[in-house]
Amino acid sequence: MEVLSFILGSLVFPGLLFASLIGLLYIGIDRKVTGHMQNRIGPPIWQEFLDVGKLLSKEDITPGAAQSPIFTAAPLVALGAAVTVMLLIPVSSPQPTLTMVADLIVIIYLLNIPAICMMLGGYSSGSPFGATGAGRHVAQLFGYEFVFIIAILVAVVRVGSLGLPTIVNYQAQQGWLILDWRLLPAAIAALVAIQGKLLRVPFDIPEAESEIVHGSLTEYSGPKLAIWRLAYDVETIVVAGLFAALFLGGPTAYVIGGVQIPSIVDFLIKTLAIVLLTTTLRNIMARLRIDQALKFYWTSATLLAIISLVLVLVVP
Amino acid sequence: MPRILPQVLRNLLRKPATVKYPQVRVEPPKGYRGRPVVDPERCISCWLCIRTCPARAITISKETKKPSIWLGRCIFCGECAEVCPARAITMTKEFEFTTLR
Amino acid sequence: MTFIVPIGPQHPALKEPAFFRFEVKGEEIADVDIRFGYVHRGIEEALQRRDYKHDVYLIERICGICNVVHTTTYCQAIEQLAGVEPPERAKYIRVIILELERIHSHLLWLGIAAHQIGFNTLFMLAWRDRERVMDLREIISGNRVTSATNTIGGVRRDVKPEHVPTILRGLDELEHSTKYYIDLFNSDRTILARCTNVGILTKDDARKFCAVGPLARASGVDTDIRRDHPYAIYDKLSFNVITEREGDVWAKSMVRLREILEAIHIVRQAVKEMPIGPIRIKVNLEIPRNEAIERTEAPRGELFYYALSNGTDSPERVHVRTPTCANFASIKRMFLGGTVAEIPIVIWSIDPCFACNDRVALVDSHTGKTFNLSLKELRKWRH
Repeated sequence: MEVLSFILGSLVFPGLLFASLIGLLYIGIDRKVTGHMQNRIGPPIWQEFLDVGKLLSKEDITPGAAQSPIFTAAPLVALGAAVTVMLLIPVSSPQPTLTMVADLIVIIYLLNIPAICMMLGGYSSGSPFGATGAGRHVAQLFGYEFVFIIAILVAVVRVGSLGLPTIVNYQAQQGWLILDWRLLPAAIAALVAIQGKLLRVPFDIPEAESEIVHGSLTEYSGPKLAIWRLAYDVETIVVAGLFAALFLGGPTAYVIGGVQIPSIVDFLIKTLAIVLLTTTLRNIMARLRIDQALKFYWTSATLLAIISLVLVLVVP
Repeated sequence: MPRILPQVLRNLLRKPATVKYPQVRVEPPKGYRGRPVVDPERCISCWLCIRTCPARAITISKETKKPSIWLGRCIFCGECAEVCPARAITMTKEFEFTTLR
Repeated sequence: MTFIVPIGPQHPALKEPAFFRFEVKGEEIADVDIRFGYVHRGIEEALQRRDYKHDVYLIERICGICNVVHTTTYCQAIEQLAGVEPPERAKYIRVIILELERIHSHLLWLGIAAHQIGFNTLFMLAWRDRERVMDLREIISGNRVTSATNTIGGVRRDVKPEHVPTILRGLDELEHSTKYYIDLFNSDRTILARCTNVGILTKDDARKFCAVGPLARASGVDTDIRRDHPYAIYDKLSFNVITEREGDVWAKSMVRLREILEAIHIVRQAVKEMPIGPIRIKVNLEIPRNEAIERTEAPRGELFYYALSNGTDSPERVHVRTPTCANFASIKRMFLGGTVAEIPIVIWSIDPCFACNDRVALVDSHTGKTFNLSLKELRKWRH
């Protein structure tokens, strides 16, 4: 019975099926809103489903230089890692599907796997664009990851637990962590790190299309590219869900006017808000150069996170 | 704060500048140089259009001795419509030449 | 360790085929090798096989974006050969369309430049405003890009009085949004971070490599054919020649943006002062042996035409030197010491038009080497 529920959890809810549907839908919304922000109509909201569906049905062309198991396995591993994180973050209740002692550490590690897979895919593709993109991705990873970890650490220190359910339960009693003035800089830093993690403007340097075509994913096509798109979309929702759980109180159930609103609705609203925030950010800036991005991460963003950490440690 | 932010947020509420093309069509203005059509009734077979066409897109049919325009070569300059003494060639507003099979 | 980053012949940073071979150390560019000739169409030879009037339409297709300036230069050269002067009103109409074309070309440049630095919102907004210029050109000439308005001895289509209010209204909107873009380029921090101190061409280098147009003006070289060697009715209009001192990508975009404002100013003057009269005269196109050169200021810089007639109704020789051809000499200097991330914006900062540029390139298909021919060898080749 337990095995069955685990399989259901990883494949249907909140695993692969649910995460893909919501991820594709949210990226579709992101593209539609982007269109309107640029004063054009934009694609329909379900465009991402059509794109991924079409890619899945297309012929897979792998260049001769990229004929390696790594090149083939990279998208699958990335998708698997992203879906696994989905099981670890609270979706329909404060309690995630899988619980561990210190699940935040596991989440941090797992969230790096898609990025690492992308680099491996880029390096093994045998294309100079892939190699340049992967090189830039490594550099950028060292920028945003530090900020991201410090920002998470702030929340952990504030609550005094490495368990995500504990942090969510703490916020249910004490109010959202983002409303605490000492944690506000950390939340902003985390948002900046998310922008880099999701490779969105101004930090879309590893896949800057006008410079290095599509970076690591240049040589991917057909179903493999579809899986990459899916992995990216799931990663988006996962990162947004993690941010919601850490700073926005996670999924909570409400009663408004006598109507019971399940916590899954709360989860969807909060993640959508975060996705829309990143959409706005990516539409108002130009892409930075890699040195400028690193400088920004290592000075302003790190400073914000560390100030917050010091404040949490010092001010009672 | 980025300077373009107010503009971007205002664009969210504005009507998009683009239209859904195949469903919504924008009428070209008067005098648009679209597909040239030949009116064989008015044509006097002077063949001035053949001499004037820079792309050599106008051919003569053997039976009727009237010109016909090969759209594959036509560059829509409108010289033939201008030169025609009988006004038999006119430029329409039609600009879609691809068809669905 | 250096490795090669190939840009082109097919690459999203290039809107037309050309091949740039970058030797890259990490992110830094160590050397660059440029190869052209992918869109060579043999136009100059084809021009000799048609008559003068048909040539206008072939000339128009040398470059899609600056088609009016090409035909204007050609028509002026032929008018010079034939010794005729087009009517005043035709000159005014030419200037109106030329300046609308400059606005459209610079807005197109702005959009792609924004795309090259990853600013897609600005790209879309700039192209939205470019649509307005194209609508104006559609009203005047009957087509959005290829205007087919110029002809030898004048213009084919008049600017009707009922179009004047529409044109002025469109110009007002354009002025408003151009000022907004200038403001944006002055203040947006990500744009400044990407554009300042990138792809610098100093004033000395600009002189040495014979840069023309906005590229030279951005480096502080005060040159503009419209003022230095007025054609059409530019001597009767008042306008400023925009220069900047820095010579980087920011200065180049600033020159272009401020030139849009000047172009709007010129169109307003031309529309207001346009005299009434005929728009074209008949020219006898059996021109006796004569030669003429004509220079104009295209949106990208100085455009040069040489025409030679031989008594028949088709030219003996028409030679075209496009501004891109003059500007490519300085591109290597702008790259060296830069990074890979700068490649697209620096290539685009000279506003390249490869189709304009590719006249003759002789490439040995076995070794891939380009070579030059002397005039004698070339004559032998042709026959």
